[in-house]
Amino acid sequence: MFIKKSPIENLFSKKRKQCPFTAAGIHHIDYKDIELLSRFITERGKILPRRITGVSFAHQRILCSAIKKSRHMALLPFVSEE
Amino acid sequence: MAKQEKQHLYEGMYILSASLSDDARQKALDKIVAGITKRGGEIHKTVDQGRKKLAYEIDKKRDGHYVLLYFSVPSTVMNEMWREYHLNEDLIRFLTLRIEKVPEKIEFQPLPV
Repeated sequence: MFIKKSPIENLFSKKRKQCPFTAAGIHHIDYKDIELLSRFITERGKILPRRITGVSFAHQRILCSAIKKSRHMALLPFVSEE
Repeated sequence: MAKQEKQHLYEGMYILSASLSDDARQKALDKIVAGITKRGGEIHKTVDQGRKKLAYEIDKKRDGHYVLLYFSVPSTVMNEMWREYHLNEDLIRFLTLRIEKVPEKIEFQPLPV
């Protein structure tokens, strides 16, 4: 049976973010696209967890390997000191 | 007749030393291209991405000259080529990836904010 949430419960339940890659219909993430990749790393250069960015599991794996390829080619930093 | 080996399409990104003169850099690039063609490969496209700042220091170098090559070679010679790249001192870094097709233009699908 479906139980309706009270208005107070609704206030605290967060709406799940949709994956930006799924929404845009992107299947391949290029390691050369620094502008896009840098949106998913911290200022220090760490990869952001998907609970913050809302990226789907499948896309997070693709994104992760793209960032790592990019780091190997010195397009993105491993650690940023600034 | 020897069996024709299946060729695969690759994208190679190379960082050449920025301290080289234009002639020396061209020579270094020709060496890479020759390494592909002499193994029965074929170059489809060359994209010179120019001089860029490296995100971190590699061998005390802060800049590098980025070159993209699209080529097809038999997959069996790839190991041989990598060994050659590691010995090449003008080549700071390289990355070779299997791809499906050569892109017309290097551009990316923007992600809505």
